[in-house]
Amino acid sequence: MEEENIEGINGNDDEVQDKKSKKAAKHDGGVADLERVTDYAEEKEISSADITNAINIFGDKRNKEAAEKLAKERELQKIHVKKEDIELIVNEILISRQQAEKVLREHRDVVSALEALIN
Amino acid sequence: MPSSDPLPPKESAIFRKILKCYEMKQYKNGLKLAKQILTNPKYTEHGETLAMKGLTLNCLGRKDEAYDHVRRGLRNDLKSHVCWHVYGLLQRSDKKYDEAIKCYRNALKCEKDNIQILRDLSLLQIQMRDLEGYRETRHQLFKLRPSQHASWIGFAMSYHLLGDFETANSILETFRQSQSLNETYDYKHSELLLYQNQILQESGNIDKALKHLEDFSAQIVDKLAVKETMGELCLKLGKFSTALPIWEGLIKRNPENTLYYQKFIEAKQTKDSDEIVNIYKKFQSEYPYSICPKRLPLNVANGDRFSEIVDDYLRRGLRKGVPPLFVNVRSLYQHDDKVKVISELIHGYHNSLKSSGHFSNADKEAALPQEPASALLWTLYFMAQHYDHLRDTTKALEYINAAIEHTPTLIELFVTKGRIYKHAGDLVEAFKWLDEAQSLDTADRYINSKCAKYMLRANMVKEAEEICAKFTREDVSAMENLNEMQCMWFQTECALAYQRLERWGDALKKCHEVDRHFSEIIEDQFDFHTYCMRKMTLRAYVGLLRLEDVLRQHPFYFKAARCAIEVYVRLYDKPLKTEQQVEEFDTENLPPSELKKLRNKQRKAKKKAELETAQAVQAQVKKEQHNKSRQLQNQDGDPEAPQLDELVPEKLARPDDPLEKAIDFLRPLQVLAKECIKTHLLAFEIYYRKNKLLLMLQSIKRAKSLDPIDPNLHTCIVKFYKALKVNGEINEHVRTVIDKETKLLFDGRDADAMNQDVLKKFPNSFHHVLQVARCMYELDATKRNTAVQLVMSFDFKRLTLEDATLAYNYFTTGVFGVCESSANEYKVKCQQRFPHALLFKDQQSCENHMENVKVEWDNDDQQ
Repeated sequence: MEEENIEGINGNDDEVQDKKSKKAAKHDGGVADLERVTDYAEEKEISSADITNAINIFGDKRNKEAAEKLAKERELQKIHVKKEDIELIVNEILISRQQAEKVLREHRDVVSALEALIN
Repeated sequence: MPSSDPLPPKESAIFRKILKCYEMKQYKNGLKLAKQILTNPKYTEHGETLAMKGLTLNCLGRKDEAYDHVRRGLRNDLKSHVCWHVYGLLQRSDKKYDEAIKCYRNALKCEKDNIQILRDLSLLQIQMRDLEGYRETRHQLFKLRPSQHASWIGFAMSYHLLGDFETANSILETFRQSQSLNETYDYKHSELLLYQNQILQESGNIDKALKHLEDFSAQIVDKLAVKETMGELCLKLGKFSTALPIWEGLIKRNPENTLYYQKFIEAKQTKDSDEIVNIYKKFQSEYPYSICPKRLPLNVANGDRFSEIVDDYLRRGLRKGVPPLFVNVRSLYQHDDKVKVISELIHGYHNSLKSSGHFSNADKEAALPQEPASALLWTLYFMAQHYDHLRDTTKALEYINAAIEHTPTLIELFVTKGRIYKHAGDLVEAFKWLDEAQSLDTADRYINSKCAKYMLRANMVKEAEEICAKFTREDVSAMENLNEMQCMWFQTECALAYQRLERWGDALKKCHEVDRHFSEIIEDQFDFHTYCMRKMTLRAYVGLLRLEDVLRQHPFYFKAARCAIEVYVRLYDKPLKTEQQVEEFDTENLPPSELKKLRNKQRKAKKKAELETAQAVQAQVKKEQHNKSRQLQNQDGDPEAPQLDELVPEKLARPDDPLEKAIDFLRPLQVLAKECIKTHLLAFEIYYRKNKLLLMLQSIKRAKSLDPIDPNLHTCIVKFYKALKVNGEINEHVRTVIDKETKLLFDGRDADAMNQDVLKKFPNSFHHVLQVARCMYELDATKRNTAVQLVMSFDFKRLTLEDATLAYNYFTTGVFGVCESSANEYKVKCQQRFPHALLFKDQQSCENHMENVKVEWDNDDQQ
């Protein structure tokens, strides 16, 4: 549903009627305003300027960030955690398994994970 | 548009028109067009068309059909991004955001660069606060459509929300520079600049922010924001001489903004109270009609200077008859010396006004004109409030009665009289006076609400509803309408009244209703994600997002959540019998004949109940039909609102797991109201019952960091100590953590020793003594007498009504075991101390009183 593929429709009878009812609704104050909040609006285009450079800079930055995040996650995944430790945290602190696993990986051993969680 | 099932050109054109119609909200046209395709025998099962028809139907409120069509469409064309997208939109309209995100992801698998899907995905991500995901999606959009404004703004915002101010700023800066200069600067541009400035400020680079503001102030149309920000930034940078004229100018713009005066004085760099008072005096002469420069110096002035200006301030208020005069100065009552001055002054006015009609003898000797007759009235009114604030009920009543005698038609007087009774603990008398006030002006909504609130405090829910009904819509019940209007103060007070009446289910229903309002407010932000971006009101938008993040911090939520938690904990301690059990309760011990009667009765009752439920079901069906037709008729009702489970008090009062329900209410408090000690004390009560040692410890630690000497915290610590002793086997890791933490917490003492320590440290604090007594009994039931004696012997003169109520409730709810005689003894003593309080009145005499009233009525009738 890309916009540029859509051709405008020439006004038929129904559309004219729609416009009329819209006009009537205008005097409805707040209701009409609220209605407009969800209206469809055309996007404004930037006047052609040299922006490719900027796009590349931000793109590089984004890639770097993504790579760093991935590396960090990989690092965390490397840490070995015991299933029973996760169970213990879930049972004692009443949090979800994912949360428990994350905290455990970050703190590496179960006692310091528990300590971190009660602080 | 790649689809596994492409349409020929003619149908394809029609299909595009359907999309357009959907976007333009021309749903009926859309349906007609869909029909054109679907009636063609070749395409009756065309997936994408079916999906779009479903989506359009959904917008017309025909939800069941909508799901039907969309699912069928999807089944027919699983490879189509349109079908997945549509299914996502449908889920979204049902507020199933997680499901919707999954659908969008599937849609993107079919077509990874689809702008519309990415946009919709980003909306859901920001709504769910998946900020990392939002940034990723925003970056995709930025890459695909760098020529659009919104791409830049959204991309910058994603960094801003993640706290990367620098990148956010550099994106906006690049964007700003890329805009050609000949464009006219409008409101949107102005807002964008202010938003950029906000980012600079938040990054902590104040210098840069000031420079930015100075450079672009000519392009910003919100001049007030420029001035305020400029003044603030100058103060932060210590540029006081630049700041001074800015704040002076702002005072000139609006001399009633207290903040401007504060900032002006900050720029003056003075802490000397005389000097500050002089500054206010100068503004007083400059703006003789404004209140701020008259009221604000009262906060800083001391000694004779204070007497002098408060004298002026009070005389002016009493002369003109300013009703909220007392409320205006109430904040000064935290300083005892100021209270003394005010007290002397008003007594002086009272005496002089009575004898000569002047505020003072000096005025009389100077032969000044007399004060208006109403001055005495307002003085009496002030005095009544003054003594009420100091909780001197007798004097407060004396003055309010004198005032009412003076002018029996002033509504404020009756409100105050009611309030005096409320503070004295006579809630019935209190509501009667409010009802009187309300009857004097039934068109005054404020008085009406106050009256309802006082009725709720007296546990009169039905009466309160009737009073409110004077202002609610006529065709629905007041209770329903107040819920619809999200009237939370009323619902919370209702919940508390039901809690006092031990109608647990009703109390919970009200609490859940309040909770749902908060969920709804969070839902309501959805539309703003697109709207604010389009209108470029980005500062307001970020403000909204941050508000929604902490929405449940609001005191309204706290109150309701606290009530719900207390009720759920109570229901855990003493679960209600199931409805069946209630019925079967007495049958065992009845003689056969009685039993037979009872069975007959039950059978009849059952029949009646069945009939009633049948009728209720019918009514419900009718109501639903009515609602449906109404929704179809006027589209302003939100057809997208999902149906929530109905809240049934009987069911709510019998939860499967009350503690889990309590935790649901607790969670937001733990995140958002963590600076309130009550949160952690409530948490402790829940975890104590769940026997979760580490979480108990967590609550104690958090509470302790807020207030290490809180009396209730002490009780928690003792209970925790006891719990440790009772628990036999504890996991070794848990043990390690607990041992380490308790070393500090217990400091080598046992529970008894800790209890004695607290008593030694705070023998003069009633709350500490009360908790010590409570722990004493908890630890050793044989020490009950000592514990009771401890509470009983505390000087009654130093108790407030709230203290006494709490202690008395301890006696009656079994905190010290069953001890009726002690409770009665305590009650008698409290009665002497608080003669008005209903709680301590003799039940017998109360009933007698009511009886007497009734007899009088009957006699009247006979005559």
